[in-house]
Amino acid sequence: MNDLVVRKELNVVATGSQDYVTVRLAGQTLGIPVLAVHDVLNAQKITRIPRAPEWVSGVLNLRGRIVTAIDLRRRLGLPPREAGKTSMSVVVEHNEEPYSLQIDSVGEVLSLDNQLFEKNPVTLDPRWREVSRGIYRLEKELLPILDVDKLLAFESKDKAA
Amino acid sequence: MDDLLNEFLTETAESIDVVDVELVKLEQDPNNKEVLDNIFRLVHTIKGTCGFLGLPRLESVAHASENVLGKFRDGELQVSEHSVTVILESLDRIKEILAGLEATEEEPEGDDTDLIARLDAIAEGALAAPAPEPDTVEGEIIDPGLGRPLKAGEVSLAELEAAFAAAPGPEEMAAAPEPAPKKQSAGKKASLFDRVGGEDTIAVAAHLLSQRLESHKELGKFFSGTAADLRKGRFMGMMLALYKDDLDAADNVGRQLVSASGFTEQNFNTLLGLVKDVLVGCQVDGDTADEAVMSFELVREAVLTASKAVAKAETNKAGRAAGGASAAAASSDEHAAAGGEGGKRVSQSIRVSVDLLEDLMNLVSELVLTRNQLLQITRNVENSELGVPLQRLSQCTTELQENVMKTRMQPIGNAWAKLPRIVRDLTVELDKKIELDMRGAETELDRQVLELIKDPLTHMVRNSADHGIEKPAERLALGKPEGGTITLNAFHEGGHIIIEIKDDGRGIPVAKLSKKILEKRLATEAELAEMSDAQIQKFIFHPGFSTAEQVTSVSGRGVGMDVVRSNIEKIGGTIDMQSVEGKGTRFSIKIPLTLAIVAGLIVKAQEERYAIPQISVLELVRASQNSEHKIETIKNTPVLRLRNRLLPLVYLNEILGFMTREEIDARDNKDDFIVVAQVGAFSFGIVVDQVFDTEEIVVKPVAPILKDLEIYSGNTILGDGSVIMILDPNGIAAKANASAGDHEHEEERAKEDAKRRTVRDEKESMLLFRAGGKHPKAVPLGLVARLEEIEIGNIEESDGRLMVQYRGALMPLILADQNMSIRAEGKQPVLVFTDGDYTMGLAVDEILDIVEDKLEIKLASDRKGVVGSAIIAGKASEVIDVAYYLGLAFADWLKSRDMSEDVAPVKGADLLLIDDSDFFRNMLKPVLTVSGYQVRAVSSAKAALKLMEEGYMFDLIISDIEMPDMNGFDFARMVRDGSRWETTPMVALSALATERDVQRGHDAGFDDYVAKFDKETLLRSLSQQLKIKGDAA
Repeated sequence: MNDLVVRKELNVVATGSQDYVTVRLAGQTLGIPVLAVHDVLNAQKITRIPRAPEWVSGVLNLRGRIVTAIDLRRRLGLPPREAGKTSMSVVVEHNEEPYSLQIDSVGEVLSLDNQLFEKNPVTLDPRWREVSRGIYRLEKELLPILDVDKLLAFESKDKAA
Repeated sequence: MDDLLNEFLTETAESIDVVDVELVKLEQDPNNKEVLDNIFRLVHTIKGTCGFLGLPRLESVAHASENVLGKFRDGELQVSEHSVTVILESLDRIKEILAGLEATEEEPEGDDTDLIARLDAIAEGALAAPAPEPDTVEGEIIDPGLGRPLKAGEVSLAELEAAFAAAPGPEEMAAAPEPAPKKQSAGKKASLFDRVGGEDTIAVAAHLLSQRLESHKELGKFFSGTAADLRKGRFMGMMLALYKDDLDAADNVGRQLVSASGFTEQNFNTLLGLVKDVLVGCQVDGDTADEAVMSFELVREAVLTASKAVAKAETNKAGRAAGGASAAAASSDEHAAAGGEGGKRVSQSIRVSVDLLEDLMNLVSELVLTRNQLLQITRNVENSELGVPLQRLSQCTTELQENVMKTRMQPIGNAWAKLPRIVRDLTVELDKKIELDMRGAETELDRQVLELIKDPLTHMVRNSADHGIEKPAERLALGKPEGGTITLNAFHEGGHIIIEIKDDGRGIPVAKLSKKILEKRLATEAELAEMSDAQIQKFIFHPGFSTAEQVTSVSGRGVGMDVVRSNIEKIGGTIDMQSVEGKGTRFSIKIPLTLAIVAGLIVKAQEERYAIPQISVLELVRASQNSEHKIETIKNTPVLRLRNRLLPLVYLNEILGFMTREEIDARDNKDDFIVVAQVGAFSFGIVVDQVFDTEEIVVKPVAPILKDLEIYSGNTILGDGSVIMILDPNGIAAKANASAGDHEHEEERAKEDAKRRTVRDEKESMLLFRAGGKHPKAVPLGLVARLEEIEIGNIEESDGRLMVQYRGALMPLILADQNMSIRAEGKQPVLVFTDGDYTMGLAVDEILDIVEDKLEIKLASDRKGVVGSAIIAGKASEVIDVAYYLGLAFADWLKSRDMSEDVAPVKGADLLLIDDSDFFRNMLKPVLTVSGYQVRAVSSAKAALKLMEEGYMFDLIISDIEMPDMNGFDFARMVRDGSRWETTPMVALSALATERDVQRGHDAGFDDYVAKFDKETLLRSLSQQLKIKGDAA
């Protein structure tokens, strides 16, 4: 119950600062709201699911829970990971189902001032625009913030398609 | 909410449900005393409890219906449809009030006078009988303590107080009733004690009895010797003991009751009369009073003997009496306590919240997984001292798991409990006659699932009754029985629970539906024209669809089958429908057993493991190139011969998209495992790379984004901690069947098969192929040994003939048609025929299909190698003569059968084959057909005689000897005894072929006697016999 309330608040960008976990994916740094992250895991044994959508890399066992692993690179239209490199998992929840986002590596937790936040540029790749909540202007780079719910709202998208 | 009220609500709700069902039963069987008693008891309990909890509205309604029920029970009123309807109505009212109570903890406002008046009117319809029914109208005297009229069973406060005042104090009398126990006893069970009205009423009754006895002219002398208080105490103790069924105590008190000698049978009877009067005076209703009085019979003897013995014991009677009475009271108290416990012991149940069970279930699931993990670890450690305790843990876990599973299972009958009432109401309302046939009510399923399907089921039964079943007149006009039947059937099948709802009503009218579809613009006329009836009928699942012309109060409120479907789909089930106009409709709901721990067979495909629910696995077959079981293909469709049946196969690797068919076929070392799975009536083989063992798996549902993948039914964590997917044989079957027509057809075919097998066998499997020209050719499948594809490179030419090395020998290849030629490259499809030592290959252009059809040679052919033309699968096909090709392949083949000429069939001879064995008929018929005979096969001598009556003539009759009903000998005797077939040659076929049997056969009239399974001799015998007949003619 509490979780839900928190999640709702996340959608409201008010003055003050927000905390994000940064992750690296194909050279790009992305931010995930820290409260949405349930777990960060090292490389896991992932069971493939034949015939599943391509952005589902499989399922893994997280302390007795079965978690669906999402290949974030495919989901965001990035090139596939080079062979031999392992991935890390960021476990999030969507509709009370756990999902593991497969990323290259996890960075740090940043507390970012809301004034650095900006809406998505209209020219952003539609696939990114759909799942990015907005962008923080950091000193050295730009940090798009992933909207976990939109990222995982496949069901509705699939039905429309 | 108040615990007491809560308890009351649950209990009453349950009672009402039971009453519902029982009433419907009663209506059908008005003389069933047991049912009536049960109803009466339940309603009375409800009434009693209401009174106790101070729920006047409920109480008055319950009371009024109880009145009517009482009349039924006394036989003063006949059970009629009208009265049952009104009582049911009152139950509904009670439910309403209960619902209000549950919501607000107070009785909702409302006026029941109308209902009560109607109930009373029914009750008064036969008020002639003497039973004093206290009427509410009569209760004009407003009790000052209550401020409302008195109800039946109630005693005015003043009277009660008088009784209490008169009651002995605790110091004088241990048996003195405490008003307090009323709380624990009232409303619990409707024992006689409760029905009488509890201790309060008994106290009053005892008081009155004691007073009346004192001055009674006949009995006074027996009782006047005892102090009034003591006397009252004794009666009270006695009644308490009797009404609570404590016979020992009653016996004891009985002995103390009469303190004077000379008490006779007659006196006792008078006493009983008095008791009755008093009880009735205490507003105990007639029946209960009767019952209460009857119970005194149990102490009659004790009282009488006591009276006889009393003279001797006169001296110490007072002490003993007091002691006895108090003992009786004490024991009755004890009994009350024991009775409470006893009640629990009977039901042995407590209420546990569903959430708790759910948690427990989850924990057990985790426990099972951890246990499996531990087992896996210790398996690799030798001589671990963990072994023994772990085994114990394992055992306990298994038991725990089983029991927890059990707590969740409930018979589906629980969900059906309301249906008889609903159907009954509908029959009245709609003026139809409907019988509800419920089967498999004991089928258990998860209670959560049960809750969820309750409403859809109810809705569907309503629909069937309302839309499906016609009015009696309509039914009669259609030649159907007047009463319709709705059948509910539940059973387990392949890890699912199937619930069927079937009616024999009018079916779903396609024309009407089409009109509606057009009206609602759900499809265009053109689209409809292209749809099959079944497709159109499925529109009823469309949101907001209702076909009833008039919206009745029953159904047709706009929410319909679409809601039902979505509800069922919500729990992962499917719903299917078949409807034949004029015949009826059948819905089948399939609900998976999720949340369950099941045994799964672990298999491997491409280094990944998968689980297949053990329940749908029939057997495992290992197939390799050289073993008996070999995967064969017909036009790229892999099949396996398994015990004389062709089993369609699917490759798991292909289903999962790991390999294409070409890749699979191109593998070098074909060594496959075939998991034979069954889905409904359809069985098929799943080809996997490897099979491991079975493991207990906890089925966890797949993530929502994977729901659309129908090949999985869930996933699970194995003992080693890895996650694997659980395959759904249903989904795989659906996928495998996608091209070959759907599953239903398969089922229908299987059913047809079964039917055919039992009725008669006229169809057979024919292999269709093409060779030289467009027209299909056919050969009975039973004659084909194998189907091969031979590399062109392997075909050699020697001695002007085509040869191929096959299984370590040279096999001649014959072209099936002069006009065709061997392919230039690739593979040549070949049919392999084997006869004894002779094996030949028949090269064909293309293998088309296997069809089941009636083999009927329409046109015999003069062309060599062709038996004739037949219509197979709707096309004219040449049926080839395998014998001819064998002759071509082996010059000595015909010679090998030393009497080749005799074997040469007499073309077109009609044979009648009588054999009760399906197998044998199947085997022999193609052999004979191919040998050029027209064969009619029947399964019994009776069937054959019927053909005779119908005027059929045959050239020869082949009959089995051992047959049920009429054996071959008797049959032959009948035929030979001047029948129409008197001169027809007859050949006996039997497994019993001793000389004696042969002689018997000849005596009975058979011309020849051949041992079964001796094909050669049979064929020879046939042509001999036919020749003889021809010569004779």
